[in-house]
Amino acid sequence: MQRRYRTIADLKQHESALAIAVTDPALAGKLTAMGVLPGTLIELVRPAPFGNAFYIKVDGIRLALREEEAACILLEL
Amino acid sequence: MSDSGKPLKIALLGNPNSGKSTVFNQLTGLRQKTGNFPGVTVDVKEGRLRFPSGLEARLIDLPGTYSLYPTSSDEKIVTAVLTNPADPFYPDALVYIADVTHLDKHMLLFTQLLDLGLPLLLALNMSDSAAEQGIKVNTARLVAQFRIPVISISGRTGENIQKLLHELEKLIRNEPDASAGSEMVFYPLREQEKQVVDAVRHNLPIGNAYCALLLAHHHGWLPFLKKQERETLSAIVETKDFQSLRAQVDETLDRYDRFTPIVRKTIQQPFVSGGTATDHIDAVLTHRLFGPLIFFGVMLMVFMAIFFGYDTTGGWVENATGVLVDAVGNNMTDNWFSSLLVKGVLPGLQGVLVFVPQIALLFLLISILEEVGYMARAVFIFDKTMRRFGMNGRSIVALIGGGACAVPAIMGTRTISNWKERLITVMVTPFISCSARIPVYLVLIPVALPLSTWWTKALIFGGMYFFGLGAALGAAYVFKKILRTSDPSFLALELPEYRMPHWKNVWLTVWEKVKAFVAGAGKIIFMISIALWILGNSGPEGALDNAESRVRTEMSGSLTPEELNDRVAAKRLEASYAGIIGKGIEPAIRPLGYDWKIGIALLSSFAAREVFNGTMYTIYSLESVGAREEVEASNQRPFERYGRLRRQMTDDRFENGDRVYTLATGISLLVFYALAMQCMSTLAVVRRETGNWKWPIFQFLFMSGLAYFFAWLVYTLLPKV
Repeated sequence: MQRRYRTIADLKQHESALAIAVTDPALAGKLTAMGVLPGTLIELVRPAPFGNAFYIKVDGIRLALREEEAACILLEL
Repeated sequence: MSDSGKPLKIALLGNPNSGKSTVFNQLTGLRQKTGNFPGVTVDVKEGRLRFPSGLEARLIDLPGTYSLYPTSSDEKIVTAVLTNPADPFYPDALVYIADVTHLDKHMLLFTQLLDLGLPLLLALNMSDSAAEQGIKVNTARLVAQFRIPVISISGRTGENIQKLLHELEKLIRNEPDASAGSEMVFYPLREQEKQVVDAVRHNLPIGNAYCALLLAHHHGWLPFLKKQERETLSAIVETKDFQSLRAQVDETLDRYDRFTPIVRKTIQQPFVSGGTATDHIDAVLTHRLFGPLIFFGVMLMVFMAIFFGYDTTGGWVENATGVLVDAVGNNMTDNWFSSLLVKGVLPGLQGVLVFVPQIALLFLLISILEEVGYMARAVFIFDKTMRRFGMNGRSIVALIGGGACAVPAIMGTRTISNWKERLITVMVTPFISCSARIPVYLVLIPVALPLSTWWTKALIFGGMYFFGLGAALGAAYVFKKILRTSDPSFLALELPEYRMPHWKNVWLTVWEKVKAFVAGAGKIIFMISIALWILGNSGPEGALDNAESRVRTEMSGSLTPEELNDRVAAKRLEASYAGIIGKGIEPAIRPLGYDWKIGIALLSSFAAREVFNGTMYTIYSLESVGAREEVEASNQRPFERYGRLRRQMTDDRFENGDRVYTLATGISLLVFYALAMQCMSTLAVVRRETGNWKWPIFQFLFMSGLAYFFAWLVYTLLPKV
């Protein structure tokens, strides 16, 4: 099945994409409060040295997110 | 108005990284304390605020949070205080600190506070950074929009702090409760939320609509709700089919939609291209390879600083107390009081003071790492590693802090939202070698290995830190396999911009921690020293005098007067209550290679492990008064220090003539002190952080059991030479 979105894991380093939705309701509360909103541009700065997490930039704010947390942010293709 | 005589309470709020604590330190300076009031389960920093007119108020520094929908227990404190007018911290007015350079991300909590209807002041912090970046702010527009006072300030430079005080005083003097209960709202409730709020207000005496909504959202955990209130709220949520998580997200997004255009019209920001300094630094510090390497390098440097710092400072403290002991000994008549001072209190106090410089240095280095923003990077790098051991990336902050003192480190675990990760961190942090173990190690390593080179000893000293870390990770792994939880686990962490440390913040942190440490440990050690002196100088009716006269008749003639005095002191101690207690537990600790004197030291160390040296001093100076006169050279390296104490320990023998301190006994003691739970302050703080006595009791038993087992194991395996 063809996906209609990407996630942060699909981005190359320093690539950006627009967020379209945050899915998981438990995480969405936390992430939206921190400024990860639909319609914001998200840049993958780099993956964590030992993997499992991402360093991202959202509107000038820097965030560290786990893979599971990043996975619920849907990005534009 | 507040009750006459009771000072007004003002709460400081803001997102993490809004510079809130810098503003708090600017406003209160040294007039602050960490409140720990009876009946209050949380402790919150509090300071005294003095207005230009002389009016005073209490300023309460609530933990930083992004919203009133919390995920971690320090964030929950904010919601719990603001929804409960009966809370001892419930404020009369609020000051909201926002980072003006990221105003678009800092307005969510602010608009929630607006809807709570308490008098509110908006402080736009970091005006200095904003000016540097060419950001222009139209505060008049914000005043017109929200109808509250708005002030641009800088916590770092102190700009407009006086003006903030002035405006705040106007706010609380004019009409303290004019807006309370008013229905001017920022976020209009949706239809379902309205129904829920109406039902809540129908059943409970709550004026503010948003407060009623928050109660409905959080009825499951808010600690002040009575059982019946909780049931009522639960029933309302159920009958209205109120989906809390979904409603939270909808509300949050709606608030953003409403305040984003306002912020856009308020802030003029020049377009910036290219990376900032933080981006360049992070390219190295969070690099796949250099990131972890630099972290280990930084940690190595911190602990080298501690070790070599001891070289200089340890000597000063010992010389100072030595001078004091001599002064008291020479100038006071020989009576019970001077004996108590010289042989009880002063040696005990030396045991605490000797590592105050150490703990200050550790807190200094750790708070600098925190202040510049490096700790958040360490959390990011090691989240995966920590999760493998059932913890959270944030646990690394506790484990590093545990190198100074477990008590503040354990309080810092409140930022971990998952109960299991937090509990494991709390349980294993005391395994990390804290500064209280440094003097114990420095005495015991040369006793265990008297002939080895200086570098071997330094290596074993470093090895003790790895041993502690290994024990912490091993225990964490076991807990991970046993404990179960359904709590969600988060990393979701903001990585702040790197900044030069704000030194006022750093000094205040060091000052506060050292003060708390000296007050806590000092009190315990003072009491134990006195108790030991009493137990060592009294015994069953006539027992001490009988022991003395027996020695004098048996030994007279065969010993020099000095040797005779030593022997008399030893026999008196053995006949005293302390001796009786020590002998009583000797069978239990004999398998570990310890005699009754170590037994006394072990027992007293269960209050605080740093008591070990003090107790040893007390025991051995009780034994031999003459040795005190020996003067110690001051220019000694760490392992040559405590020479007098060490020589006495090395010469000590069991009844059968075997030496007490062999390699096996020394290492066995090192292992015991590395693993055992010997700190009442830590147990007390674990009790407070976990909510009941179950966990500290369990922690005490498993750590001490582990210590006993491994001490026995090494004693059995190692040669008794």
